[in-house]
Amino acid sequence: MAERIAFDGSLYFPEAVEAAAAAYAEHAQIVVIPEGSAVIAVISDVVEHDPQLIQHAFCNHVLHETISRRRQAAVEEGG
Amino acid sequence: MATDETTQESRLGFAVGADHISFEVDEAIYPLEAVYGACYLFLDRCYVYLSRPRPSIVTVRLTAKESTSAAALDALAGEFGNELLSQATRLRLSQATARIREYYTAAALRAAASAPSIDDLLAELESEELLEDPLEIMVPWEAKHGGEAEAERKNDPDAENG
Repeated sequence: MAERIAFDGSLYFPEAVEAAAAAYAEHAQIVVIPEGSAVIAVISDVVEHDPQLIQHAFCNHVLHETISRRRQAAVEEGG
Repeated sequence: MATDETTQESRLGFAVGADHISFEVDEAIYPLEAVYGACYLFLDRCYVYLSRPRPSIVTVRLTAKESTSAAALDALAGEFGNELLSQATRLRLSQATARIREYYTAAALRAAASAPSIDDLLAELESEELLEDPLEIMVPWEAKHGGEAEAERKNDPDAENG
């Protein structure tokens, strides 16, 4: 069963969702769909692990990517 | 994320589920940068998910990585709240002192740029007239005072007799 997770565009970078989806490609099938100001990640076909665990870990990864990218952008802006 | 579980209110007024706790953060009080700062520190302790129910409000949802109690979730959220406050304070202090930090950095860079290099110092040392000795520091004591001491000895017979 596929799980849809919405990442609000004002809180998460779409590129961060894409990067996390690529990083989790070996654990599940993740399709990223832009939808208005949000980005939807549809997670299905989870391999080996508990699907809920993968969903939570995926969310953490997206947040980590977003924070890292924001900080990098701030450093580049300042420099 | 889907939240089909029943929730109850925690001691701090947060919504507690079986394995998660969620609460709203007002961006007028805690800037988004502070929210990210706190989230970053909690990423290794729990699963963090952010959503925006309405403008300038962020819902933070913390999910335990292992089975836990409502009290532990409440404590986790309380710690997150403390960290949020700390991050917001640091951010405001950083903004308030940004000008003075820029000034001191610029002053330090200017001072470093105008400081002489090792080559400059060596060249200066080499160009100095080391043979000039106006105070006669390089003249031995005997050469300088030997004549006077001899004359004194001749004028003082006691000294000569021991």
